Amino acid sequence: MNLFLVGLNHRSAPVEVRERLAFARSGLGEATQLLLGAASLHEAAILSTCNRVEIYALAGDAGDAARAVRRFLHDHHKLSNSVDGYLYEHRDDGCIQHLLEVACGLDSMVLGETEILGQVKDAYDIAHQAGATGVVLNRLFQKVFSAAKHIRSATAITRGSTSVGAVAVDLAEKIFGKLGKCTVMVIGTGAMSEATARALQSRGAGSILVCSRSQERAEALAGQLQGRAISYDQWPSEFPAVDIVISSTAAPHPIVTTEKLVPLMKTRRQRPLFLIDIAVPRDVERACGELEHVYLYDIDDLQEIARANRAAREREITACQALIAQHRQRFVHWLESNRDAIEERYRRRVASTAFTGPAPTPAA
Amino acid sequence: MITDRTYLWLAQAFYAVSCLITVRRLRTGQRGPGGQRLNYVVMTIGFVLHTTFLYLRGQHLGRCPLTNLFETQAFAAWAAVLFFLLIGPSYRVSFLGAFTAPLVLVICLAALLSPIDVLHAQPITRSAWVEFHAAIAIVACGAFALAFVTSAMYLVQERQLKTRRLTSSFLLLPSIEQLDVINFRLLIMGFGMLTVGMIGGMVSYRIVGHWPTPKIIWAAVVWLLYGTIVLARGLWSVRGRKVALMSMASFAVMLVGFWGVNLLHP
Repeated sequence: MNLFLVGLNHRSAPVEVRERLAFARSGLGEATQLLLGAASLHEAAILSTCNRVEIYALAGDAGDAARAVRRFLHDHHKLSNSVDGYLYEHRDDGCIQHLLEVACGLDSMVLGETEILGQVKDAYDIAHQAGATGVVLNRLFQKVFSAAKHIRSATAITRGSTSVGAVAVDLAEKIFGKLGKCTVMVIGTGAMSEATARALQSRGAGSILVCSRSQERAEALAGQLQGRAISYDQWPSEFPAVDIVISSTAAPHPIVTTEKLVPLMKTRRQRPLFLIDIAVPRDVERACGELEHVYLYDIDDLQEIARANRAAREREITACQALIAQHRQRFVHWLESNRDAIEERYRRRVASTAFTGPAPTPAA
Repeated sequence: MITDRTYLWLAQAFYAVSCLITVRRLRTGQRGPGGQRLNYVVMTIGFVLHTTFLYLRGQHLGRCPLTNLFETQAFAAWAAVLFFLLIGPSYRVSFLGAFTAPLVLVICLAALLSPIDVLHAQPITRSAWVEFHAAIAIVACGAFALAFVTSAMYLVQERQLKTRRLTSSFLLLPSIEQLDVINFRLLIMGFGMLTVGMIGGMVSYRIVGHWPTPKIIWAAVVWLLYGTIVLARGLWSVRGRKVALMSMASFAVMLVGFWGVNLLHP
């Protein structure tokens, strides 16, 4: 009896292959049941996200079963070309190790991201509801969930934002505390400024003003963000009420200069001002950051913080692996001490389905 | 031999543990409420022991334990811890204890280790006014001590944001706006109590019959300094760094004057 997994991820396969093998969430339960029969598995669960498709299974013999699972993947997705070269396999200890790494975000594209744990829980729930899991996978997944929680809180693997937008939000919260009373002004429309504005909005930022050289684009973005569009020449007059400025115009020269800013700061009654300059070339003169109550971060600053946070997460891998090893060994120990009972149970089940099953094989 | 001082020593042990918890949190960069709650519990135990000391000393003296420099310092530190325990959870200010515990520890250890615990350094006058004015003025000092602490936190956080060099303490510190507001509230509370204490002082000096000039000058200077900050922050909306710097400087002036006046003119 072996635990094993067959799968691919963002490292082993390009997106064209991953999307061919992805399972739609709606059909996942059914697919798991089909797989169970097609590969004669004792237990199975399918994890399908945009970055990975992995089949976790328990079978009498991993060699035969893994080949059958590969065949199932090809047949189920009606693949004309073989994708065998993209697939990896892990058995027993390796399989447990891999699931633990996945659940902790160690195998994710963004190291330590936490969304994956929810996706693994989802995958397990669906398999469980489809009746495809049993005594081994039930315990394995439960233990993995609590291990992931433990590892997250005991290490710094999820700490620190790793994207520009999230870093900007962290900084805004360190300046203003709660963002509910903050007004955000977006100067210049673009994917990056929209993402940053949305990130601020999702953490409670109050009102949003949008201005752009093109009034049309300003109104479009303001509509999407449920903000208010203002004309491009109007931004200095709105300035006294603004707390956070996201600037990303295509202007060749700085549009916010100390000359302009000094008189504007006087109207703010010394409230802090957070300038997020994501334009290249930069929109805000670097010297503005020297002014009292002004906090200026350009795209390089934000990227550098995100990079430093990623590096800090990487330094936590060793600590995570040490904890993972403990959790893995605990599970292996349980599995080994119950192996005989579990094997016996599945032998009996196979015998009874063979006897009472809908299509019994004729006796030789 | 167990004396009332023993309890003050024991309290210091818990404040020291609180400092160690902070160092550990800074090292590991551990976030979350766990360490904070533990720190709060440890500080509370320290506070209870600290209170026991003041109570025993008060029982022994039959009055508010402010008869010498040692007692006064212990009382002021006690007031600082009191403000920390009041403000810490209600404002959800993480990490306030990290700055409070070392300050309190330094003030109390300085008191415990120097030979200033002289019995009745000042002639004991049994007057409710005298005791009241002294006690409330010292509690005001506790508020100023905590304003000093929040100002230090403000300056650390502000520096990191300004220079874009974010260390692991960055995540633990509250926002600068929050610190600015708490600082102002503490300054108002301290200033109000100091004002009441000074009025009480005028009444009590009439009762006692003599005017200790250096002490009055010191109190007036401190009152003017903090009055200026409260005015600047409240009326002229001077905020942030300047207020934090003024608050820290005023506290330093107060502390130096406090020792100076008490040592030179017991």
